[in-house]
Amino acid sequence: MRGACEWGLLVDSSALVRDAIYRSTIALDRQQWTDWLEHCDDEFQYAIRAWSPEINKDVTYLALDRDGLATMVKLLPKHNTDHSPLTRHTSVYTVDVDEAAQSATAVSSVVVYQTMLDGINSHIDAGESRLFLVGKYIDTFKLEDNRAKFLSREVRIENRRLDKGSHWPI
Amino acid sequence: MAAKNHRQWSADPQLKPSEWVDSRIYSDPEIFEEELAKIFKKTWIPVCHESELPNAYDFRTVSIAREPVIVCRGPDNEIRAFLNVCPHRGMIIERRPSGSFLEGQPSGNPKRMTCMFHAWQYDMRGNCVYISREKEGFQERLCKEDVGLRRLRCEVKFGGFVWVNLEDNPQTSLEDWGAAAFACLRKTLDAEPLEVFHYHKAIVNANYKLWHDTNCEFYHDFMHYHNRVTGFNDAYFARKNEAFDHGHIVVGTFEVNYEKYEGFDSRAALSFPHLPPNQWYMIDLFPGMNFNLRGSALRCDIVTPLGPDKVMIEFRGLGLKRDTAEERRTRINHHNSIWGPFGRNLHEDLIGVQGQGTTMATGSEPRHILHGRHENQTIHDENGMRHYYQEWGRWMNRLPSKPDLPYGEPVSVAAE
Repeated sequence: MRGACEWGLLVDSSALVRDAIYRSTIALDRQQWTDWLEHCDDEFQYAIRAWSPEINKDVTYLALDRDGLATMVKLLPKHNTDHSPLTRHTSVYTVDVDEAAQSATAVSSVVVYQTMLDGINSHIDAGESRLFLVGKYIDTFKLEDNRAKFLSREVRIENRRLDKGSHWPI
Repeated sequence: MAAKNHRQWSADPQLKPSEWVDSRIYSDPEIFEEELAKIFKKTWIPVCHESELPNAYDFRTVSIAREPVIVCRGPDNEIRAFLNVCPHRGMIIERRPSGSFLEGQPSGNPKRMTCMFHAWQYDMRGNCVYISREKEGFQERLCKEDVGLRRLRCEVKFGGFVWVNLEDNPQTSLEDWGAAAFACLRKTLDAEPLEVFHYHKAIVNANYKLWHDTNCEFYHDFMHYHNRVTGFNDAYFARKNEAFDHGHIVVGTFEVNYEKYEGFDSRAALSFPHLPPNQWYMIDLFPGMNFNLRGSALRCDIVTPLGPDKVMIEFRGLGLKRDTAEERRTRINHHNSIWGPFGRNLHEDLIGVQGQGTTMATGSEPRHILHGRHENQTIHDENGMRHYYQEWGRWMNRLPSKPDLPYGEPVSVAAE
């Protein structure tokens, strides 16, 4: 799918979506929360969900709108937290663009590694990378002004064993 | 005194023996094996909630003290529990965490628990109803009637939780064991059916009692920014920490000011039956179960000890079965904002217990863990832990402060 940009060049909407996903992954990895939220529309909705075969239900582990996320990350320094960095490996699988509606949906695989820093006994554990989460990003976008802005992100994880968990958006 | 040398560091604290424990009770493999045999195989454990098996032939698999357990709902709507072990060759019968026996399995028929290994089949009462090539192999020497499943004590009580006891003849009935501790919330939890909406688990390298200690003491609220800003007021510090028979404790309620945490609103609009809004009760049951009701959401922690310094904690969140979609969404958000795996408090609690587990790993030098705060049995009093370790000492016949010695009733603590 292509559309005209202000310079008269053809812009690939799918490429815009992929670019937004990958740039947001980098921002999240760097804990540049404000930069990440810049990729999100004012109406952005975020959720972490999983299917639990233990209770036979879809479970929601976190659900916030853009303001809720902004407040959450603002308050992070006031909380005790595990500072072990998270590294997301994202692969965009599908992008479906609706040019008429100026919107898109995308499904990406995401694997999150945690490189231990201060979570347990740093002398022993710091520097070791562990698999933290396995799942998918299910994203919707608004296409506007040659940008793809996140309207929603569902982080659909496979894990129900989450050990210490995390204070950070995934 | 400033920093100490080894002799000073190892000396007994200047507190009463009931006000501290030896850290070996959190790390010693022999003590751990004894705990499984003397406590976990003899007490009532809430293994799941009835809403996890809502229909006839639904099942859940769990374990207690390394023993695999299957809980199933029969066609008569009764929930029963059995060892999840085939009496033939010791194969685990059902490997899935949950499901329905209404559908047949590759080795067996619908409405049967089937051991996939040799196709022996059992009904929902634990009777063996089929042995493949029975007469050919066993002739008249052994028949179906001889080989039923091992049935377990099982009751649904206290808000619809499914309680199992591996002991055929428990010292105490479930009602007598839990009723006094649950009295503060019984009317609320039994008013109408509850439903589980949240499940996740954590496996952390720490003794199970350290997690229960965290649930039993609120002094650690200093760790939680959320609890400090929403709670620290006169009513909070007046909350009573009350001890009950069988090692249980209850922390009384007060009104939480959720709106004082930026981005949070008051939760007064949604509560549980017979419960004023924004209340917060905590029931801690020996040896390691926790029921935590914050106005709009009920949390339940169940520990499964995996080793002297390793525990699995299962976290459940519950609301009312009749919740509207909007009410359920609200309960889930309230639950997760504090207690979810990405919530504000649970992550901090788990870092805390993991940190304790790190210093008390098996083989680490024994040290003294203090439970000596006295604040008129209010929220930062550590009487809850002292009460717990009295019960632990009785079950184990070990003195918590000197676990090589037999238990002796500490008169001063009993008088609290």
